[in-house]
Amino acid sequence: MNGSVCLSCQAIERYLGEEESRVHALRGVSLDLEPGSIHAVVGPSGCGKSTLLYILGLLDPPDAGRVSIESEAMSHLGDDELARKRNQLIGFIFQFHFLMEDFSAQENVMIPMRRLGRLSDEAMRERAAVLLGAVGLGDKLRRPSRHLSGGEQQRVAIARALANDPRVILADEPTGNLDTANSERAFELLQNIVQQGQKALLLATHNPVIAEACDWIHEMQDGRIIASHPRGQRSLGA
Amino acid sequence: MSPPLYIALRFLSHRKRALLLSLSGVVFGVGIFICTQAQTQGFARYFIDSTIGSNGALVIRSRFRPRYKALMVAAKSSNTNAAHRLYFEGITDANQIMRVSRRFSNVVSCSPVLRGQLSARAGFENATVDLFGIDPVLHSQTTDLLHELIAGSFDDFRNNTSSVIVGSRLAEELGVDIGDTVQLLSPGGEYWRFTVAAIARAGVGSIDSTRIYSHARVAQTLLQKPFGASMIIYKLRDPDRAPALANHFENLFQHVSTSWQEREESTLQLFLMLRVSAAITVSLIILLAGFGIFNVLTMSVLAKVKEIAILRSMGYRRIDISAIFLWQGALVAAAGSVLGCLLGALMTWGVGHIPIRIRGLLYANHFLVTWDWRHYFWATVLAIVAVFIASYVPARRAAELAPVVTLRGSSV
Repeated sequence: MNGSVCLSCQAIERYLGEEESRVHALRGVSLDLEPGSIHAVVGPSGCGKSTLLYILGLLDPPDAGRVSIESEAMSHLGDDELARKRNQLIGFIFQFHFLMEDFSAQENVMIPMRRLGRLSDEAMRERAAVLLGAVGLGDKLRRPSRHLSGGEQQRVAIARALANDPRVILADEPTGNLDTANSERAFELLQNIVQQGQKALLLATHNPVIAEACDWIHEMQDGRIIASHPRGQRSLGA
Repeated sequence: MSPPLYIALRFLSHRKRALLLSLSGVVFGVGIFICTQAQTQGFARYFIDSTIGSNGALVIRSRFRPRYKALMVAAKSSNTNAAHRLYFEGITDANQIMRVSRRFSNVVSCSPVLRGQLSARAGFENATVDLFGIDPVLHSQTTDLLHELIAGSFDDFRNNTSSVIVGSRLAEELGVDIGDTVQLLSPGGEYWRFTVAAIARAGVGSIDSTRIYSHARVAQTLLQKPFGASMIIYKLRDPDRAPALANHFENLFQHVSTSWQEREESTLQLFLMLRVSAAITVSLIILLAGFGIFNVLTMSVLAKVKEIAILRSMGYRRIDISAIFLWQGALVAAAGSVLGCLLGALMTWGVGHIPIRIRGLLYANHFLVTWDWRHYFWATVLAIVAVFIASYVPARRAAELAPVVTLRGSSV
């Protein structure tokens, strides 16, 4: 993994729960994401995929280890500064798309932009329309998010993740709630975005087809990355 | 528009029933607060205006001089002014006191009064009356006597020294009307005959049921007083400053000076107690409205846990999250206060038109209300404070929600 690094983590440790129910969720996980690359994290449920994503997305602090974005260490930052970094540098896509139900598709995409506050209301609307057009929803801008199909909602979530032109996209089972056709379509969309925008994408998935299509596959088990393979070499390495 | 305000507006507009519930609590709380204050203060204001209008904002009466003996032996218990003074009935030099006191900027006018208790008789009816011997011109300038006349003519009284103005309830009691004769019994045991020139209604029961006005010189002869005035009553530009002026006059003229606040202290305290009691009752309504908002916003936080996690994942700070819920409270408080003030004004207007026959302490034929911007101000302040407190806890709770817990609950 050569070249510049968008996002990096070293020796991440994370415990979840309290006392008897305390679980060692991540055990010394290290990872580097380069611009224009797509990384898949695979593994059984409960192996720590989502926990890793939340730590890399600055939503959850690690108990030990270090996260850097664009070579800047995040460990010492306060809650407000972490929120600002999340807003500027990271786009999240969740399995259940997690749209704001009271808002239209366009308004959902505008929510991160409003927080950033760099664009006028008109410019935000325009950018949201462009992003939704890029995911094939140009004709459903004003439709309330709850009136969209599952596939459409996930595409709105993808557009929303790109709203502030982040350097890193983190996707937790982005196709887990979609049928095969919609899964492939959503993944192709993400591939294009990553390649064209030189962004880094890390996705946690159970879908082997999608995992195989990524540049790197990281296999996780019991909170550890037990193997990392470039595309097409998983069977050799396994 | 800030992002939290934008989101707060959207959250509110999509929970119409909850919004209506919160809003109605604030609206009714503010409205009822204003209306009850308008009523209770309405009666108090009417009483104050009437008593100042009839008896003046400040009164100077008995002359006093220090009791030198008391100064030599200072007893612990005799620390009041009264214990150190010797009092003499009447005003020694009323004209000089009036001339000096007119130089005070707060004094509009003053009028000497010779006052005495007498028995009155008209036909077969008898009553004890409070005789006010007045200078008609000065008294009409100093008091509201001209406006208080409900029958007869002030000019008839002014031009006829053997005429009197009778209080309305006293006139009813004696069964006299304009042109009738009233007999006043002098301390010497002689009945003096007077013609009723006018009937006055001050609106205060204690005045209307006892007061008779006559000319000062006639009163002096009738009452057999050696002095021409037993008190001087004052009309002031700012009646609220009467206590300070009374204190000053007392030291300056060595005569007992009493402000209207001191004179009517017991009645004013009664009104104040009623106002405070009503304010406490209505504040509880507003607090209940605040409790309603607390419940609605707490439910809203629980219902929006997912949205809060999404917003946090998109870079919204804790302070933004709490601002969303505080804004919801603020919007409810603002809209509730405006609508509540309108409702309060409407209720005050309606209550002011309710016919009611009051013939006791006050004379009124309908509910007395007062229009005071401070009622609206304090009702709004109270609503805002109650709603802020009610919103603060849910807002803080929302800000403290860990987004990962919500997100983890949805994806393992």
